[in-house]
Amino acid sequence: MNTLATSTPAPGTAAGVPKKKKRRRKYKKQNFLEFLCTVPALLLILLLNHYPLVELVRYSFTDWNMLRTDYDYVGLTNWKWLVTTLKTNHVLDSFRVTILYTIAHLVIIIGVGLLMALLFNRMTKSFAFMRSVIFMPHYIAMSSVAIIFLWLCNENYGVFNYLLGKIGLGPVAWLSSPVMAIWTITLTASWRGVGYDMLIFLSAMQGISKDYYEAAKLDGASSVAIFRRITLPLLAPTTAFLLVTQFISSMKVYGVVDVMTSGGPARSTEMLVYMLYQMTFEDYRIDRASVIAIVFFIFLMIVTALTMRWTNRKVNYDA
Amino acid sequence: MDKWRQLSPELRRKKIIHALQTIGAVVVTLVMIFPLYWMLITSLKTESEIVTMVPTFWPKELIFSNYVDAWTAVPFLRYIWNTLYVTFWQMLIQTVVGVLAAYGFARGRFPGKNVLFLIVLSAMMIPSQVTFIPLYVLIAKLNWVDTLSGLILPETVSAYMIFMLRQNFMSVDQSYLDAGRVDGLGILGTIRYVLIPMCKASVVTVSLVSFINGWNNYFWPKILSKSPETRLISVGLAQMKNIWQDLSGTGYYNTIMAGVVISIIPVVILFAFNQKYMLKGYSKNAMK
Repeated sequence: MNTLATSTPAPGTAAGVPKKKKRRRKYKKQNFLEFLCTVPALLLILLLNHYPLVELVRYSFTDWNMLRTDYDYVGLTNWKWLVTTLKTNHVLDSFRVTILYTIAHLVIIIGVGLLMALLFNRMTKSFAFMRSVIFMPHYIAMSSVAIIFLWLCNENYGVFNYLLGKIGLGPVAWLSSPVMAIWTITLTASWRGVGYDMLIFLSAMQGISKDYYEAAKLDGASSVAIFRRITLPLLAPTTAFLLVTQFISSMKVYGVVDVMTSGGPARSTEMLVYMLYQMTFEDYRIDRASVIAIVFFIFLMIVTALTMRWTNRKVNYDA
Repeated sequence: MDKWRQLSPELRRKKIIHALQTIGAVVVTLVMIFPLYWMLITSLKTESEIVTMVPTFWPKELIFSNYVDAWTAVPFLRYIWNTLYVTFWQMLIQTVVGVLAAYGFARGRFPGKNVLFLIVLSAMMIPSQVTFIPLYVLIAKLNWVDTLSGLILPETVSAYMIFMLRQNFMSVDQSYLDAGRVDGLGILGTIRYVLIPMCKASVVTVSLVSFINGWNNYFWPKILSKSPETRLISVGLAQMKNIWQDLSGTGYYNTIMAGVVISIIPVVILFAFNQKYMLKGYSKNAMK
C-alpha cells in the first residue's frame, strides 16, 4: 500500500514505446483474466437461478409427483387443471390473501416509517440511540419475531389482550379468527420491518439540501407546506426504491405464516409460498406446484415492471 | 416561569414543539421495544407466573433455569454450531465470488460485459421462493438433502452483493488502479491492496448483511434439513414451539423465550459493535 503514495505517472509512458502488437496481446490477456473473475459468479447464478426457472417450466408439462422418480410429459394438463378448477383449488384465494398482506404491510412500513423518520429527525446522541433501538428488530429472524408475537398475542395469557382489557377492549381473537389472523401477521412483520424504512427515509431527508428549506422559510411557508411541497416530492425516489424492493420481498413471505398460523384458520392466511411448499412437500404435486410457481413469477415480473414505469414517470430525480 | 414569559411567542412555540417531539420519540421507542422487553422478562419467569390472568411486568421471582432448560431440552449447541458453520461458509463464498465478479464488471473491458451483467441483474428478479422445487431436485440429485453442504449451496452467490460492490468499485478513481499496476500488482493484488482497502466500509457491510441474512434464514433450512443433526437454530426454535404447544396449554413460553434470547445474542453483538458502520452502509446502499 505505501508504494501507492510515491507512484509514478500512468502506465505505458514509463515503458517507453513498446511494440504495438505485444502490448495488444498483453491487454488481451488482461481482459481475459478480468472476464475469468466473473465466471464463478455467472456459473453459480445460472445454476441457482436461471436453470431452475427453465426446469420449472419443464416440470409444468409433466405429471411428476415426487413419490416416483419417473414421469411422463402430459402437455397442458396441469395448466388446464389450474384454469378449470379455479373456483375450488384455492389458488385465487391464496393470491388474494398474499396481495392483501403485501399492500397492508407496505402501507404500514412505508407510511409509518416516513412519519417516524420525521419524528426522529434530530441529530443528537439520545435520538441516535432511540433510532438504533427501533432498527434492532430488523436483525432478528422473522421466525423468532413470530414466536415472540405468538406469546404476546396469546389469547389466554397474552399481554396484548390484558392491556386491551385494561382500556375496556377485547379480548381479541388474534390468531383463531380468520378475519383477524392476517392482520396479526401483518402487524408482526411490520414491527420488524418499519425501522428499516425509517432509516432509509431519514438518510434521504439528510441528503436534501438545506437551501430549499431556507428559501421556503424566507417566503413564509408553513411547516406543513414545506413538508408537502419540498420534503415529500424529494423523497419520491426513495419511496420508489422501497416500493419496488419490498413489494417482492413481501409477496414471498413464508416464515411468519409457517410459525404463526400454518396457513389457518380455515386457509385464511395461506399465502402463495406457503401453498407452494405444502403442495410440494405435503401433497408431492410437483407438477401442479410448478404451474402455480410460474404464474407467481410472471405476476411478480409484471407488477415490478409496472411499478418501475409508473415511478419513473412520477419520480423527481433532481435531488 | 418568569424566564418563560420573557421569551418571544415564536421561541416559546419552538420550545413546545421540541419538547413534544422528544416525548413522542420516547413513547414510540418504548412501544417498539416492548416486545423485546416482554421476551426477556418472560424468559426469567417461572412456569406458574406466565399463566396468571394478570401478567406481571416485573418477575416476582427472577430465575435463570429456563436458559438451562432450553439449552438441554433440544441439541441447542448442535443447532448453533450448524448455523454458524453454514452461515460462515455462505458469507465467505458469497463475498469472494462477489468481490471477484464486482471487479470484473466494474473494471474489466471484455466483449459481452453488459450482457453478462444483465444476467446477474436478472437473477435478482428470480426469487428462490419461486424456483425452490427444481433447486430441491438438484440438491437431491447431488445427494445433499439433509446435509450442511446442501444448506450452503443455495446461498453461495448474491446478485445484490455483486451489484452493490460493483457500484463501489466503479467509484474508485482509475489513477489508483494504474498506480498499483505500475507497481506490479496483478488483478488479485489490485483487488486486495487497492479496491478492498478503499471500499472497506462497503465490503464489511455487505458481508455482515450476508451473515445476518444467513443466520436468520428460515426457508431453506425448513426445506432441506430433516434430522436434528443438520437443523439450524431458526427452524429448531420453531419446532420447539410446535412440540411444546401441543404438550401443554401454556406452551412453556418462558423456556422458548430463553431459547429465542440465546439465538439473537450473536446478531445483537454484531449489531452493537458495528451499528454505525451498518446503519450507514444500509442507507448508503439504498441511495444508489
